[in-house]
Amino acid sequence: MIDKSLRWIDDRLGIAKGGRTFLDKIFPDHWSFMLGEIALYSFVVLLATGVFLSLYYIPSANEIVYHGSYLPLHGQRVSEAYASSVSLSFDVKSGLLMRQAHHWAADIFLGSIAVHMARVFFTGAFRKPREFNWIVGVSMLILGIVNGFLGYSLPDDLVSGTGIRIAFSIVESIPLVGSYLAFFLFGGNYPGNGVIIPRFYILHILIVPLLIMVLLGAHLGLLVKQKHTQFKGKGKTEHNVVGSPMFPTFMAKTTGFLFMSTAAIFLLGGFAQINPIWQFGQYEPFQISYAVQPDWYMGWLDGAARIMPSWEWVGWGHTIPLEVFLPAVIFPGIIFNILILWPFIESRHTKDLAYHNLLDRPRDRPKRTAAGAAMLMLLGMTFFASSTDVMANFLELPLKSVLWFFRFAVIIAPIIAYFITYKICNEMRAAEGIGKRKRAQVVLRSSTGEYTTVDSEPRPGDGYEELEAIPVPTYIDLVPPELVTGAGVRRVMR
Amino acid sequence: MRRLLQARYVVPAVLAGCVGMVGLLGFSPGAAQAVDGPSTTTPVPQLTSPPLPTPIGQPTAPSASSVLTYRSPSNQTGIFYTDLPAAFIAPGQALFASNCSSCHGQDANGATGVAPNLQRLGAGTVDFWVSTGRMPLANAGVQAIRKPPRFNRLQTLEIAAWVQSLTPGVGTKVPLVGTGSADLEAGNTLFTLNCAACHTITGSGDALMGGAYAPGLHLATTTQIVEAIRSGPGNMPRFGPGNITNTQARDIAAYVQGVIQHPSNPGGFALGGIGPVGEGFVGLLLGVGILMLVCFWIGERT
Ligand code: HEC
Ligand code: HEC
Repeated sequence: MIDKSLRWIDDRLGIAKGGRTFLDKIFPDHWSFMLGEIALYSFVVLLATGVFLSLYYIPSANEIVYHGSYLPLHGQRVSEAYASSVSLSFDVKSGLLMRQAHHWAADIFLGSIAVHMARVFFTGAFRKPREFNWIVGVSMLILGIVNGFLGYSLPDDLVSGTGIRIAFSIVESIPLVGSYLAFFLFGGNYPGNGVIIPRFYILHILIVPLLIMVLLGAHLGLLVKQKHTQFKGKGKTEHNVVGSPMFPTFMAKTTGFLFMSTAAIFLLGGFAQINPIWQFGQYEPFQISYAVQPDWYMGWLDGAARIMPSWEWVGWGHTIPLEVFLPAVIFPGIIFNILILWPFIESRHTKDLAYHNLLDRPRDRPKRTAAGAAMLMLLGMTFFASSTDVMANFLELPLKSVLWFFRFAVIIAPIIAYFITYKICNEMRAAEGIGKRKRAQVVLRSSTGEYTTVDSEPRPGDGYEELEAIPVPTYIDLVPPELVTGAGVRRVMR
Repeated sequence: MRRLLQARYVVPAVLAGCVGMVGLLGFSPGAAQAVDGPSTTTPVPQLTSPPLPTPIGQPTAPSASSVLTYRSPSNQTGIFYTDLPAAFIAPGQALFASNCSSCHGQDANGATGVAPNLQRLGAGTVDFWVSTGRMPLANAGVQAIRKPPRFNRLQTLEIAAWVQSLTPGVGTKVPLVGTGSADLEAGNTLFTLNCAACHTITGSGDALMGGAYAPGLHLATTTQIVEAIRSGPGNMPRFGPGNITNTQARDIAAYVQGVIQHPSNPGGFALGGIGPVGEGFVGLLLGVGILMLVCFWIGERT
């Protein structure tokens, strides 16, 4: 019966063939290939908890008098958005859990994207033919950051309102079009006529997630089509993929991982407080609290803006606030452009136009690894600079000194990181026998009580005693000439 | 199906499923119930503090609390500024001479470059600086820091009484703060408006420009809060009755004590109350970190 109906469907849709390819897809077993899945599953959690939140949240800036169960707010005039977020936390059953899980999931979503991206970068998985997928990935990262900011703004509390205020100034700082753009986005001069919240809401729950989902489909589709990369090793070549099939092994593994990710997010949601908006109070444009930071994934932007000296350009009757425009528009613009264009920047530099299905060990590409480390250091420094005030408070240092420390650190630290990483990579490559398995030693005791050690016999079937040597270019800039002969030299049908 | 069951990933999968379920069921009811706004009536603060090692100087017979409660009106809400009894003045002078005069001078009129003039500041100001442990000054940093007070309540008030006696009727008097039936909502609004800019909205304090910092408000008593408002210690502005009325000062004090110091704060560990910085660390280290370990566990590691 089931057989018959399945056949009926297959006759019409022809899904058996595609399904077969899917179930037979091979996943390499290395642990670092699962990092992207953290992102995938936290996105699933984001969607699920987000749907729950949208049942109770009211995207409106209308003023009402709060009458919920949080006493200190009683009788205050607050926006409906804020009131509904507080009620969501206090009066809706498991609402606070959902709100916190949603927020943690967002933090973890972007964190795992960053880690996943670092894996792809340092192993060179973005090289031909996978440049497209790299760009799709970076686009999702950008959209994720944007959506995180939009969501952070929705509760309309004091902290998030400060963020919106800053966003307005950033848009406004763009030369020529800035103020028009800002007025268009916010429906008038700041704080707008209450259109910000509904607009952000539509973007946050519909448009941006939809874009992310489309890109996610493309990301996974390309992954299936182009097949996975893999690390070098016994039996692994440019022409095959070694790993577990989708069904049954990988299916079981990844389902387990889905549960684990969900569990981790909900444990945090239940145990660790995040964004306690009821303490912050309703946003009023004339109020401000110290210690206002954005979520971590915006931290590097905030940090860049904080350590920027207050410069301004005045001329032809216009003022360009460089102190906002440079760190908040130009700086992320450069960073994201480098990220998107990196595969092309690199292949231009190495003249390497070959197909690559085998991954590099980071140490085998000292320049790329060093460049990556420098980039991480730059972002890390600006990220830490976003907590200058918290640091000054903890270390009991003057705020000015911390600020100046970071002004130098953002420039010097990446350079130092580049050279140190470069050096370490070269040293590691030079060291003999790294990555090889040691032969066991047998200790013998003679009849006179003397001890001697001898090498053990190689055990039968002792597979990977030594890694199979595979000829690959060793330096990013030293590609063997036979590989440089033109496009598609080592093209293989995998 | 056999192969599926044999796969070594089934164990982690089932385990994680259980944990996830517990996570979902266990916390959902709790989250909505663990909520009680702080009670609107906070008891009138005790004016006595635990006895401390007696420094130089003789404590006199009447206790501080008996004197102060005796003088406070029967109606227990609001702020009442008391005159300290004349009996305090003589022992206060002795205490001042042995503990403060090295910096502030015999007549408390200060010394240029060493310590400010204390005359005309009033008993309340002196009470604030001594009861928060700022005085006697330990190290000449940018800002005197709060530390356990050297003197007990009675001795503190004696010193304050003597300084006040130099300029009778001038300066801030010692306030008695009764927070019964205080308006916490008004306190919330006033705090956000006047104090959050420096002390942060959660009252955990933060660095200010020029090496100064606004301290956290988790230790201040209601008396000290009102004294701080009225006297403006250090880099903090002074708020006179024209800016903040006595009733409003009481509401702020009640809000700081009732909500900031005892927040009704569901949602788990508060992560230091320093906002996204702490949250970012937890999200990345605990959240992403643990999940990476899981990857490491179920994946291959060559
Ligand atoms: C080591 C020197 C030193 C000693 C001892 C000392 N003080 Fe001070 N005091 C200072 C300095 C310096 C300041 C200014 C600190 C500041 O503004 O942060 C100050 C400030 C004050 C102020 C605030 C003045 C204002 O303008 O607001 C009061 C009140 C005060 N001291 C009272 C006392 C009392 C009472 C004692 C004895 C228990 C005492 N001090 C002991 C050095 C000292
Ligand atoms: C301009 C910033 C600023 C504002 C606004 C401000 N404070 Fe302060 N506050 C400070 C600083 C700085 C100190 C530390 C003074 C010192 O020790 O020299 C302080 C100290 C205090 C203390 C003493 C804390 C302790 O534990 O010793 C209290 C209480 C206090 N403030 C309450 C308030 C209240 C209530 C308000 C609002 C009405 C307020 N402050 C507004 C800057 C500020």
